Amino acid sequence: MNRESIGGSIWARRGLAAMGIFGLVFLTVPLVIVIPMSFSSARALTFPPPSLSLRWYETFFGDPRWMEAMWTSVLVAAISSVAALLLGGLAAYGLRRGTFKGRDWAEGNFMAPLIVPTIIVAIALYLALAKVGLLGSLLGLVVAHTLLNVPLVMMVLGVAIREFDQRIEQVAWSLGASWGYTMRKIVLPNLAPSVFAAWIFAFIGSFDEVIVTSFIAGKFETVPKKMFNELILEVNPTITAVATLLIAFTVLALAAVAIVLRRAGKLKDTVV
Amino acid sequence: MTRSTGFSFIAPLLVLMVVAFNAPIVYMLGLAFWEKGRGFTLEHYEGLVEAPVYLRVLGNTMRIALIATLANIVIGYPLAHWMRGLGSRGRMIAIALVVLPFWVSILVRTYAWIVVLGNGGIVNRALQWSGLTDSPVSFLYNELGVTIGMANVLLPFLVLPLFAAMLRIDDRLLQAAASLGAPPRTIFWKVYFPLTLPALAAGSLLVFILCLGFYVTPAILGGGRVPMISNLLDTLINQIPRWEQASAISTILLIVTLAIFAAYRRLDRKASA
Repeated sequence: MNRESIGGSIWARRGLAAMGIFGLVFLTVPLVIVIPMSFSSARALTFPPPSLSLRWYETFFGDPRWMEAMWTSVLVAAISSVAALLLGGLAAYGLRRGTFKGRDWAEGNFMAPLIVPTIIVAIALYLALAKVGLLGSLLGLVVAHTLLNVPLVMMVLGVAIREFDQRIEQVAWSLGASWGYTMRKIVLPNLAPSVFAAWIFAFIGSFDEVIVTSFIAGKFETVPKKMFNELILEVNPTITAVATLLIAFTVLALAAVAIVLRRAGKLKDTVV
Repeated sequence: MTRSTGFSFIAPLLVLMVVAFNAPIVYMLGLAFWEKGRGFTLEHYEGLVEAPVYLRVLGNTMRIALIATLANIVIGYPLAHWMRGLGSRGRMIAIALVVLPFWVSILVRTYAWIVVLGNGGIVNRALQWSGLTDSPVSFLYNELGVTIGMANVLLPFLVLPLFAAMLRIDDRLLQAAASLGAPPRTIFWKVYFPLTLPALAAGSLLVFILCLGFYVTPAILGGGRVPMISNLLDTLINQIPRWEQASAISTILLIVTLAIFAAYRRLDRKASA
């Protein structure tokens, strides 16, 4: 059976290819344009840049407020991604392997931050944290980021745990291994690539979070919060450098995930 | 450790969620129905109906969400369909190009449109160079810019599940139709398209839900001139503190979102069955 009888005439296929390529261009071109613009010497956002310079990177790295925001972002992302990984990983294991009642309900509740509009989570947390006097605290920020990233962790690890043959664990138990030993020696080594992917996703998720952070962070500045506030006031070319650094960070993080998953032969399951 | 039920595995997360997620949302819902010293009241909702500004923002949000969702369908369906027909190498590249923007900060992707669509940006440069316009077209700080930005940010949410559903369609089904003499157009509309419809509907509902609660893109690309529900909520919390009113609007938004999500779940089950 040749392709033509199903896919249509050559013109139909060319038309489809044009629309598909347009879709990819629409998705990626804005990101690609930002990169050369960040090396512009001009203050105005004129394309192409009149000449090249590193002045916006110097402004960014030379500004103590940006640097402080960056360290806050890294700190919050580091703590909350590990917390989300631990709590979400344990819960994903319990939901896949457990037999207790109400598992669907529990899973729905854990995944809810993905569905409930983030602005509502932001307002609810704002009101509640104000009530208990934790508005503008690092603790409130870390807890909020943790629960926002739990769904990402559970999605990645839930699939990995379901695909890992439970009989292997049962064999370990039947041979007398304790639960902790089985976890350490059997389950975790097999899930390691997915655990790494889940951790990276949670880290990116926290590092980029802007809405809840803007509402509850108080005096703390994170990179996205500062970026958002500056963008609302005026367009400042330093943002172009920050945006390029964030794109580079995302590309590197995702490349690391792709390499680890590919080595484990799991790339296809996780991507789509 | 109770290996028999496994409940203890979810207990720590359950405690965190109940304290830091469920309780705050219930508290917010409560505020919307409460008046100090008088107890239960519906007056915060009556206030919403009486003020035309709220209805205008609601209408605005619905319209923009609808247009952005339609734009997503028009751009996303052909893209996913085209990706299905690619070879394995081309397919991997296309997936990477869809997944990567999905993970890039929403702020970066929104900001990128300021760079692209601004008066000195590449689109206006191209339009003027080609002689289509003499003066720059203003894409930014109006509804057009907000809609373009939202359609762009949400496109992967439609394309990825739609593409996955298209991959599940058995080629032999299409070959059977062809061998029975159906022309390509008939095969597409009578066999292929109906099979993708549940996934398309589910993806569109998901995009629509996300549009309703969108905050960052309208705030930046709208420049304060395109208020959507989220931006109204921001004003009611951070600028003119009227928490009860904000809680009332949040409650409505939450109920609408959950209702549409229930429909989405039903379609999604059908799509992946």
